[in-house]
Amino acid sequence: MILESLLTQYNYVAVVALLGIGLYMIVESTNLVKKVIGLNVFQTGIFLLFITAAYVEGGAAPVLTNEAPYVSPLPHVLILTAIVVGVSLVAVALALIVRIYGAYGTLDEDVLREVRANE
Amino acid sequence: MNQIVIAPLLVAVVAVVATLALGRRPALQRATSVAGAIVYAASVALLAWRVVLAPDAGPATYQSGGWPAPFGITLVADALSAFMLVLAATVGLWSVAVAVRVLDRENQRVFYHPLFHCMLLGVTGAFLTGDLFNLFVWFEVMLMASYVFVAFYGGAKHTAGAFRYLVPNVVGSAVMLLGIGGLYATVGTLNMADMARRLADPAAYGIDVAPVVGLSAFVLATFALKAGLVPFQFWVPSAYRAAPLPAAAMLAGVTKKVGIYAVIRLYFTVFAAAGLDGATLPGTGVGITGDSPLAFLGPVLLAMAVASIAVGGVGAVGRETVDELLAYSSIGQVGFIALPVALAASAPSGAVRRAAVAAALVYALHHALAKGLLFLSTATVRGATGTTRLSELGGLGQRSPVLSAAFLVGSLSLVGIPPLAGFFGKFLVFEVAARHFATVPTAAAAVPLAAALVGAVLTIVYITRTWIGGFWGTQTPQVGQATVDPVQVGLLAALAAVILAAGVAFDPVYRFATAAAEAALDRGAYVDLVDPAPGTTLLAAGTGAGGALGSSGGAARPDRAGERGAGTENGNRPADGGEGT
Repeated sequence: MILESLLTQYNYVAVVALLGIGLYMIVESTNLVKKVIGLNVFQTGIFLLFITAAYVEGGAAPVLTNEAPYVSPLPHVLILTAIVVGVSLVAVALALIVRIYGAYGTLDEDVLREVRANE
Repeated sequence: MNQIVIAPLLVAVVAVVATLALGRRPALQRATSVAGAIVYAASVALLAWRVVLAPDAGPATYQSGGWPAPFGITLVADALSAFMLVLAATVGLWSVAVAVRVLDRENQRVFYHPLFHCMLLGVTGAFLTGDLFNLFVWFEVMLMASYVFVAFYGGAKHTAGAFRYLVPNVVGSAVMLLGIGGLYATVGTLNMADMARRLADPAAYGIDVAPVVGLSAFVLATFALKAGLVPFQFWVPSAYRAAPLPAAAMLAGVTKKVGIYAVIRLYFTVFAAAGLDGATLPGTGVGITGDSPLAFLGPVLLAMAVASIAVGGVGAVGRETVDELLAYSSIGQVGFIALPVALAASAPSGAVRRAAVAAALVYALHHALAKGLLFLSTATVRGATGTTRLSELGGLGQRSPVLSAAFLVGSLSLVGIPPLAGFFGKFLVFEVAARHFATVPTAAAAVPLAAALVGAVLTIVYITRTWIGGFWGTQTPQVGQATVDPVQVGLLAALAAVILAAGVAFDPVYRFATAAAEAALDRGAYVDLVDPAPGTTLLAAGTGAGGALGSSGGAARPDRAGERGAGTENGNRPADGGEGT
């Protein structure tokens, strides 16, 4: 049964994989840019979850002239908003990274910690 | 006149735009910013009047864009929202006024004021919204401003602190989004009132309630992160130290409370409706104890609160600078706010629960005012002496008696000395903890009371240490050469007077807090307020299309796939109709 659900719900497998990969990168990588990439992957996993959950087989756009079944437009709209929020967060993060690199000349968190401890 | 609900939001938006546009006219920009905060406070006062104080007072809603409740975004101003807004407006007003005086002119000119109002905008939206996803968006607005505040001084140290603040918060926001998505797929709505209605009668809407517990835990983790509760407290000290001190007053006083507010609003008003009798954890067959996600919240939040009180208190005792000490102190103090919330979640009766939530709200108000005053006083001290290190301060009491008196009022309120507001805050929290112990006299039930006692003792220790180190004793060279700005001192003295007034005239404050607690717990009133006529569709005369707009079609739920077997593609929600094949 587990195997069957894995095969038929492979989108969710992808979601879990993306969340895991993203989180692993955030925790494990000492490179700040890679951390931001990890954040992005993590967010993408969540976007995929929303879009998958909203999928209706043979569904039409919710316009009256179309025939039922309809697709709920809400998750798509939410994800558009979430993508905008995500992009601006990445922009802020990258701006901070540029500043950190300019000040310390490194992107490695461990090196950064040592440099700051010596300050 | 329901338009008043949206007034604080509009004022904040206008203030953001105006201060941004006036970047080339610094003096005018500062004046506009202060005026914006004053108008904001006035609009909040008007809203509070309309919602709580007026003879014909009652909660109000605003359906943005004219879309009826479950479809559009609803703004709800009930007593709880009004209470939190009053708190935000008070701290915000003083924060911006002190910032104008204390911060370097050049620093202010860049983007301090637009950011400040942006943060206020996010906080206001979070307090007013009645839509779960909208809450997420307001959180992001607020956080985006706070990231920039932490990196504000632009030094390498501040930037690194901001990055460390940003990463956990982005993950937290993503987890919150995950929780919201799951809740939408499970319950089929994002409107909080509609969600409460559906959870109260899950069978009628074909909802499986069990996943709500886990999904609400995702949301809880994010709120705890924003509130800085243990184990999510690690970002607090470095962020507060890096931010400009007037902005730190806002961060500690107001934005932390947004997390607490969200816990109260979602768990008590929305999730408490979900009956879980006989539900089992998906796939395991293990029964879920308790009757709703609220029962699950109780012990978890209690553990967080007790740990926060301990970590914050112990951390604050050993600090060398005043701002760092205050940052650790706010971890502990938020624990004091979360403690009665946790006890309310496991309270046996409605009256006890209401008293506990009211205690949390009173403590939140007291902490916002006292910690705001302390951070702002520290800003003045740093502006005058150039340092906040306890070893370099000393004899401030002699140098500026009024500033010291204001700091003393804030400190004593934090310790809980009558007749200041803090006394009642602490008194009510202790009362709730003691009553909890009295109902079930076991060792475990004594933990909250013991934690509160230890926390109170630690507060006395670190406050005494600050007072002796900074204000008594002989004047250090830094203090001796300091010139204290009389305008700042006047502002601080006025805020100290507010704290004193809130303690002396405590009765109206308590009644406001009780009304707010009642609003948080009265689920039926909240639902009726937002959406009095269930089942309305956007196109009442349409051909069943309304259902399609109300809910996600055939949202396959991964968390149930294992339990029921895959391939159940039918959206088993009869009430929705017209979807799922």
